[in-house]
Amino acid sequence: MSNTLIDSDAVDAVEPLEGDRDARVGSSFGQFAARKVGGAVVSMVMVVLLGFFAFRILPGDPVRTMTRGRVMSAEQLAAMKHQLGLDKSVLQQFWIYLKDLPQGKLGTSYVYKRPVSDLIMDHLGPTLLLTSIAAFVAIVLGLWVGQKAAWARGSWFDRTHTATALILWSVPTFWLGLILLLVFAGWLQILPPGGYDSGDGSTGLAHVLDVAQHLVLPVITMVAVTYAQYLLVMRASLIEEMDAPYLVTARAKGLREDLVRRRHAVPNALLPTVTLVFLHLGGLIAGAVTTETVFSWPGLGWLTYSALDGPDLPLLQGTFVVFSAIVILMNLIADLIYRFLDPRVRAL
Amino acid sequence: MAQVWREFRRSRSGVAGLVILLVVVALALLAPVIAPDRLLDVTQLLDNPINHPPTWQFPLGTDPSGRSVLVVLLWGARVSLLVGVVATVISMVIGTTVGMAAGHFGGWTGAALMRVIDFFLVLPSLVLAIVLASVLSRSVWTVILAIGITSWAGTARVVRSQTLTVDARPYIERAWALGAGHGHVIRKHVLPAVMPLVMANTTLTVGSAIIAEATLSFLGLGDTSKQSWGTMLKLALDSGAATGGFWWFILPPGVAIVIVVLAFTLVGRAFEAVINPSLRER
Amino acid sequence: MRSPAHRGVRPIAATATASAVLALAGVPALASTASAVDEGGKHILKVAYSSTIDTFNPFVSIYLTPTGINRMVYENLVQYSAKDGSPIPGLAESWDTSKDGKTWTFHIRPGMKWSDGQPITSADPQWTYTQMMTNEAMSQANGSLVTNFAKVSAPDPDTLVITMKEGTAVNPGIEIPVVPKHVWSKLKNPAKFDNSKDVVGSGPYVLESYKPSQQVVLKPNPNFWRGKPKMDGVTYVNFKNGDAAVQGLKAGTIDLIGGLEVPQFDALKDAKGVTVNSGSGRRFTGLGLNPGATTKDGTPMGDGNPVLKDPVVRRAIRQAINIPALMDKMLQGHGTLATSFVPAVFPQWHWHPDKSKLATYEPDAANAALDQAGYKKGPDGIRLGKDGKPIVLRLLGDNSDSTDKQMADYIMPWLKKIGIKVDLQMSDGDAISVDLQKANYDMYFTGWSLGSDPDFQLGINTCSALPVKPNGEGGTSMDFWCDKKFDKLYEEQHAELDQGKREQIVQKMLAMHYNAAPSIDFWYGDSLEAYRSDHVAGMIKMPKKGGMLTGQSGYWAVWGAHPANAQDVKKAESASNPTGSAGNDDGGGMGGGAWAGIIAAAVVVLGGGGFLASKKKKPADDRE
Repeated sequence: MSNTLIDSDAVDAVEPLEGDRDARVGSSFGQFAARKVGGAVVSMVMVVLLGFFAFRILPGDPVRTMTRGRVMSAEQLAAMKHQLGLDKSVLQQFWIYLKDLPQGKLGTSYVYKRPVSDLIMDHLGPTLLLTSIAAFVAIVLGLWVGQKAAWARGSWFDRTHTATALILWSVPTFWLGLILLLVFAGWLQILPPGGYDSGDGSTGLAHVLDVAQHLVLPVITMVAVTYAQYLLVMRASLIEEMDAPYLVTARAKGLREDLVRRRHAVPNALLPTVTLVFLHLGGLIAGAVTTETVFSWPGLGWLTYSALDGPDLPLLQGTFVVFSAIVILMNLIADLIYRFLDPRVRAL
Repeated sequence: MAQVWREFRRSRSGVAGLVILLVVVALALLAPVIAPDRLLDVTQLLDNPINHPPTWQFPLGTDPSGRSVLVVLLWGARVSLLVGVVATVISMVIGTTVGMAAGHFGGWTGAALMRVIDFFLVLPSLVLAIVLASVLSRSVWTVILAIGITSWAGTARVVRSQTLTVDARPYIERAWALGAGHGHVIRKHVLPAVMPLVMANTTLTVGSAIIAEATLSFLGLGDTSKQSWGTMLKLALDSGAATGGFWWFILPPGVAIVIVVLAFTLVGRAFEAVINPSLRER
Repeated sequence: MRSPAHRGVRPIAATATASAVLALAGVPALASTASAVDEGGKHILKVAYSSTIDTFNPFVSIYLTPTGINRMVYENLVQYSAKDGSPIPGLAESWDTSKDGKTWTFHIRPGMKWSDGQPITSADPQWTYTQMMTNEAMSQANGSLVTNFAKVSAPDPDTLVITMKEGTAVNPGIEIPVVPKHVWSKLKNPAKFDNSKDVVGSGPYVLESYKPSQQVVLKPNPNFWRGKPKMDGVTYVNFKNGDAAVQGLKAGTIDLIGGLEVPQFDALKDAKGVTVNSGSGRRFTGLGLNPGATTKDGTPMGDGNPVLKDPVVRRAIRQAINIPALMDKMLQGHGTLATSFVPAVFPQWHWHPDKSKLATYEPDAANAALDQAGYKKGPDGIRLGKDGKPIVLRLLGDNSDSTDKQMADYIMPWLKKIGIKVDLQMSDGDAISVDLQKANYDMYFTGWSLGSDPDFQLGINTCSALPVKPNGEGGTSMDFWCDKKFDKLYEEQHAELDQGKREQIVQKMLAMHYNAAPSIDFWYGDSLEAYRSDHVAGMIKMPKKGGMLTGQSGYWAVWGAHPANAQDVKKAESASNPTGSAGNDDGGGMGGGAWAGIIAAAVVVLGGGGFLASKKKKPADDRE
């Protein structure tokens, strides 16, 4: 749902990895990687099955829906049905779906009459741009504030920031986006109300700046509701690190406090946080759906939303499969990186 | 229990959250008394101005049908809280069951369940909920189900690790030796041990579920025949309240959501700190 | 022991992002400058659109926006007049009809050219129509318009002859976009052609490029037979969020916007440089009832409540609903009460009976009628049907828009007053379509946009539109209503070539429909729209008097548009403020007080949170 759903208990997000760690002891990186890849493959298969059968739960007649309020002859309806392949049985449709999937075909959209994969490619760029910038800003901001807050635990800085983060976290994304839209685009009129660019055909730097202006509000919206989780995890894991025996030793050795922080505590605390970043990509995508809708940002989230009127089932199915595939892939990468980076695991 | 309460009381933010929640729940329960439902019957409100700014008579103004926003907000709390709580209960039941099973039964069963948990954990839950809500018939129960089904994996994971820990404790071994079955061990030993954790998770999940309901409503997948904070916002947006500048209709539902979600989060965090002392330091 | 560098710095969480906002906001060339005049001094008309674009292939496209854009791109054989929608010359400069209405001969205006310079001849419409008649895939969008065509021939380049299967009074040359044969006949699979780049057309503007979900760019067609249009281009800009589009209009990045909600319309009334228009629409809104659905051969179908078979009950429902009050709440004056499904913008067809023949809000009369018809009230005030069961009618509403629910909120208590209980079932469009097709409903919110000729709409109210099978297959019926007398009149008007006589027959038919009440038609909603009168002028409304600019069934608004000069601006300013109140400068919308409220609320929330968090501090935590 909104990113908050992913885990209010952000701290726990690290746990499965820690739990898994025991199991990993002694196994080689190759074995470990094979197991993780296998798991991801199983997840993908589940997505594929879910992606097909979830959309056949309820009987519907997309052709009727699309043509409601229009004069259509029975022959026209039949022609449309045939065009969309809806005159075939469910099993036949499933077979076609399975056959097409490995070739990257995701069926044909009911509404756009175009291959779903084409539509997704058209909208992938803007989503990657928006989510990567938002994720980057949220992570940097979250980690930076998080470590400062941990170090200054109980201070004015810590209290304000933890509180702000918690509040922003409790805000529905679309509502925040709308308020920002009204204030900055409607009232102050210093930022554009939506879209990818102003479509004035500008090129080069002017175009980059134009897109950047259009990015500001969506990015702020996404950052505001997501950075809290990074902040809280960073803060929590750093506090944990600070009590670790090796730090006490380091201090005892007379190392300067900020050196201790930079050399030892922060890098160690970063590990669980990095994993969290990947784990929470699903939340970011959730944010993309609502943010892109509010700001008419022509990305995958927007596409998902537009697939809802109708509904355009092949398109919805396609965005679901692609979103899930992205997230599963990212998690796989996170697992492998974690294994590769964590000195404690490597040492064993 | 008294011990827990004593510990909990030490967290002032937790207590504040709890107070807020009690007040909100009381208001929601008393809605029919405070604001009789005839105040919602629009055919009796034909003379009321529509989209009117706050006045003494309507402290939060009126909505596009001439109803007092305050009254609608009060009634909306009932549905929003109901959706949040019931969805969370579903989520908790699934999460606890699957989590305990995954932790308690090793081998294939455990591994397979772990796979399922992992699957639901990484899946973009909003997208899955959108899928479910759009393919199932529209009702408030669909929304509840969609939220419940997509939000249990976090709980399952936590419960699983706790189950693993509990299972390894000596007294469980003793129970096994005395000939106890799976059922007995789970019921008598594992469940009580994971319950506090589940409770803490519950309070945290309710908030998310309330936001989820609002989000699904915003996307047009909610049940508009029931008045919730989410459907209020949807109506506000659909009726052009944002451009019209009807802040009295746009702000209250959103602020209400923020306050309630925040309260649940504060309570959840405080509660978590109580049952998991290692967290307290954080 | 904090690091000294950070001591005393008190960044708030938003610092980084806030400075980013300011930095970018400082970049020039945004908002107010990117208007109808862009950097190159070109005058581009920017139109906001929010609905779906399926494809620009006119043989396949069924959505409103692409269909509307294709009206700019392709001139029809016969165009709708801006005045009242009656047929006027398009590609054909004149036409003759045989006495039996079976042979229609069109005379193509000589010397016209496509946008690529090729001549327009009768071979183009001949090819277009024939494709639709013979190729199933090409009939998807407009196939129903050619079902009565027997043969289309082009005896010479300036003459097109359409032979009908049955005589008709409806001009067959309307509505169908005519495509250039020299482009389309070369395509391997014309039904799959997406037609979204460098389109060859015959209308005032032609499609130059399309960026999905972003914009559609049209450029002027110098070869348009009425002359080259005056804007340097038209760009349709996508907005999924209506409020964002309104902000765009205020900021000047959008010039024309339709489909406004009343509060948006009101907020734009006083905005500087903006003129609003409440144009009479061609869509009716009403409540469809299930009058006892059957198939063509009379087999009952669906699960409609049998009580609705009784016209007394259907008429009582009409009397129980306070339609004027409902319209006042829903549209706040921006609509016209309906008499039938034919909107008032088509005055020649619209039913205008004596006021006394129209029902008014009279719950007492409705109660009396139901009492007399033998529907006794049960102990809880709910009437009992002939089967002795309480009358509970399901009302289907579409969930994706709040309007249905808002209307249901009124209708439920009103019907309860006459002893009818309503079970509101909100669901999605797909589910409703299925229920409607199978007649599994009692009541639903209905609405159709009508073309200039009511023939189609009347046709779907005849018995021949009923389904063939009980599962709804083979049917196009509007409300499963069927009356042989109505059908006979339908045939009569269909073949009546005398316009005056045909109008009279249609009036009779609409009166019949009203008395039978298979649907209760509420109103014709206005199209609420706004445009930058300081950028653009000359847009022609349809109908010319009190009509709309967006969603026309012609190209008039965009065709007429030209860059606004000083005089236009002055005229627009005085016209948009009839009360004399000068347009104020704050851009409409929220006043300062509202924003003060928002900021105050934000402060309260943030402050409250800060307080809570501050209480979390425990002395033992301070361990630095």
